[in-house]
Amino acid sequence: MSIDLNILIGGAAGQGVHSITLPLAKALMRQGCWVLTSQSYQSRIRGGHLFNQVRLSDRRLVSSREGVDLLLALNQETVTMHQGELSPRGFIIYDAAEVKEVPASVPSLGLSPESLLPGAKERAEIAVNAGACGAVLGLLQAPLDSMLALLQESFGDKGAEVVEWNVQAATKGYEAGAAQKYGLSLSGISPPPEPRLLISGHEAMALGALGGGLQFISGYPMTPWTSLFNAIAQRSGRYNVLVEQAEDEIAAINLAIGASYTGARSLTGTSGGGFCLMTEGLGLASMTETPLVIVNSMRPGPSTGLPTRTSQGDLAFVLYASQDDSPRAVLAPGTPAQGYALAAKALNLADRYQLPVFLLTDQYFADTQFTHLPGEFPEVEVDRALAGGPGSGTYERYAYTENGISPRRLPGFGPELVVADSDEHTPDGHLTEDLQVRIKMHDKRLRKLKTMVQELGGITTSGDPAAPLTLVCWGSSQGPVQEAVERLQAGGTPARMVHLSELWPLPAGAVTAALEGTKKLVVAEMNANGQLNRLLRQETGLQADHLVLKYDGAPFTPEYILRELSNVA
Amino acid sequence: MLPIELYAGIESAWCPGCGNFVLLKAFKQALGELEIRPQGILVVSGIGQSAKFPHYLQCNTFNGIHGRALPVGTGARLANPDLKVVCATGDGDCYGEGGNHLLAAIRRNVDMTVVVHNNQVYALTKGQASPTTGQGVKTTLQPQGVPYPPLAALALAVSLGCSWVARGSATAPEHLKELYKQAITHRGLALLEVLQPCVTFNRVNTYQWYKERAYRVTETPDYDPENELWAYRKAKEWGERIPIGVIYRHSRPILEETHPALAAGPLVRQQPKRPLNQLLADFF
Ligand SMILES: Cc1ncc(C[n+]2csc(CCOP(=O)(O)OP(=O)(O)O)c2C)c(N)n1
Ligand SMILES: [Mg+2]
Repeated sequence: MSIDLNILIGGAAGQGVHSITLPLAKALMRQGCWVLTSQSYQSRIRGGHLFNQVRLSDRRLVSSREGVDLLLALNQETVTMHQGELSPRGFIIYDAAEVKEVPASVPSLGLSPESLLPGAKERAEIAVNAGACGAVLGLLQAPLDSMLALLQESFGDKGAEVVEWNVQAATKGYEAGAAQKYGLSLSGISPPPEPRLLISGHEAMALGALGGGLQFISGYPMTPWTSLFNAIAQRSGRYNVLVEQAEDEIAAINLAIGASYTGARSLTGTSGGGFCLMTEGLGLASMTETPLVIVNSMRPGPSTGLPTRTSQGDLAFVLYASQDDSPRAVLAPGTPAQGYALAAKALNLADRYQLPVFLLTDQYFADTQFTHLPGEFPEVEVDRALAGGPGSGTYERYAYTENGISPRRLPGFGPELVVADSDEHTPDGHLTEDLQVRIKMHDKRLRKLKTMVQELGGITTSGDPAAPLTLVCWGSSQGPVQEAVERLQAGGTPARMVHLSELWPLPAGAVTAALEGTKKLVVAEMNANGQLNRLLRQETGLQADHLVLKYDGAPFTPEYILRELSNVA
Repeated sequence: MLPIELYAGIESAWCPGCGNFVLLKAFKQALGELEIRPQGILVVSGIGQSAKFPHYLQCNTFNGIHGRALPVGTGARLANPDLKVVCATGDGDCYGEGGNHLLAAIRRNVDMTVVVHNNQVYALTKGQASPTTGQGVKTTLQPQGVPYPPLAALALAVSLGCSWVARGSATAPEHLKELYKQAITHRGLALLEVLQPCVTFNRVNTYQWYKERAYRVTETPDYDPENELWAYRKAKEWGERIPIGVIYRHSRPILEETHPALAAGPLVRQQPKRPLNQLLADFF
């Protein structure tokens, strides 16, 4: 048996699209499905059109996909916009108070708020949201109990009456759904032996950062970065994380640099435009050798661009931003579990090599929820890499060393004074214009990258390791590329994916080895010029035979990648 | 009392006769009298002639970038409130490039001292107008003279509710030392602007010019530094007479008290390892 069902839930902002998505996805997951949810929304608070997708399967899912099997429409626009995407087993469930026209050729079920939960108008939203969740489960012949338990969990603190309304509407919706005929049943799926977790990329990174010992976070709101800032801020009280909303991104990065200089594990973040303001601070962290994690959650640009859409257009920017050659590391997770591991790793790398470490994410990565197993979030190491023991008296913050790493001490912890300077400086941290010192110090800083690259890798592969066709990707493109490769393989075309999550300093030897045997190299990424392809060429001499690019602001889908491949093959 | 030799730094690159030397000496004396050891103090600066200040001292130092001393100092102080944090800034650094951070620092009321070496000019870049350059003063970039009036930064600070506002002058070193001591011991954000003659690029606002105008504000009969309206009027006074001394002071909660993360002590002394099972439960 193979189940693969895509549910699209659409409406105007403020209508409760999210209030349906989460309980529905969770109930299906607890029922034993592998679930993946993704979001698409506009830069406005009310109105407009937004939709979420809940994809479910009896096998692990790594990507969203095209095609809609169940369309859950809270308004007319949803039907009009998405009816063309309906698959042969398409079915529409709609709010009968809002939607007046559904295509006659598609089976459908209208839910009237009044029949789900008679009474006051304020209850109409509850009725439709809970009723729709129930109707989907009924239609798919899945038990209702996990949904009822979820409603109790989510609304328990709002009082017994609210829970009761939800339960009533969900039950009514369930009955209405169960009375329909639908060609797919989940009755054969049973709850998993161990609980699974539904988690988004940014939530997983918050988990990794907290597990990795984060103590200080400063930032300024900007979509899509804000969801990570929120995820940490909301839990800060329990873990003693100091959260400061800065007056601007310049302050955000300088606050974090100050906190890190004195010894707190620190992170700041933003999205493209805010990162423009941070670039001078980036150079400052590089020059003063201050550990710092910087999240850049990308969105299409230049300038304000498409605020709520997705992009991988800032790779070149974070590789080269700031003055001269300033050392930094760049990491880009592909799945929530990888986001968890890399958030913790970024904190360790920053401390070990005393430099800024980027985590590159985007709207698709930020919001998309994967089903994971708890074991995929293992214990992480916290390595502060501080110089221990008593010092020698005169402390050189920037002592010349073979590997470029100078022993780091913290101000106020001993007899040593810690002198840090953005000017070129002597080993003791004081400003200098001695040009010989300049060369030695610059070389020392850059040597750290040569040392660091030895512990980097971050290569994930899938498919046939000997296939002549290789699709290379980075960051959030992993899921769609991985599924495209799976489908190629299933269709008899040998193919493999090579996903890179540790991009700078690029472990060129390991990347070259992973590409061994490739006859046709395809690089797939969400920007217009193939920024990873340029990096590959620069660092390995290899380059793509074909580029699969997308920069319309909507995420990759496996189908899009396959279509593009068939055009070039 | 600690000897001022304890605070001796590297050789200075300031011009002979620079007003900054007076500030440096008064600051060292203040530290000595307050018995603050070099290890217990962090001096943060931006870029400018004034920003070289911490190098000429013995202390923990973070010499950052132009205009950004205040957020670095704030972050440092929040992570480790055991350190005394002083920002040494210039009129261009603090009032120009870093203006937004001054507004935020005053609102935050972090327990930190901000010293503005006000020479009414951009000295390091060789003499352009700063936000405090007098109207009509000619510079290389303003050959017709600066077209607008100077920023009344202390009045701005009073209007924002800054918890301690004062002006000192390089022409009154003893008085300046006392102001440094008060600023450092004040609980909350202390803004100390110091009249600092620039002997190379400012031929208008000289030692003589400041000496003739600076008067002790404490000696005015209606001295009332806890009265916001009085303080505002005094802070606006500039021209024939320039008040020096504490202009405004009042008590407000400091940011360090409001951050719950600091209740368990300085962040830098806390154990950042957290139990995984608690974290997992928290996210699912
Ligand atoms: C971002 C940036 N812009 C410009 C400069 C050049 N710059 C260095 S110091 C300075 C002005 C300094 O004026 P002030 O703060 O009054 O210090 P002073 O030299 O007068 O003590 C300028 C414009 C710089 N270093 N960084
Ligand atoms: Mg100046």
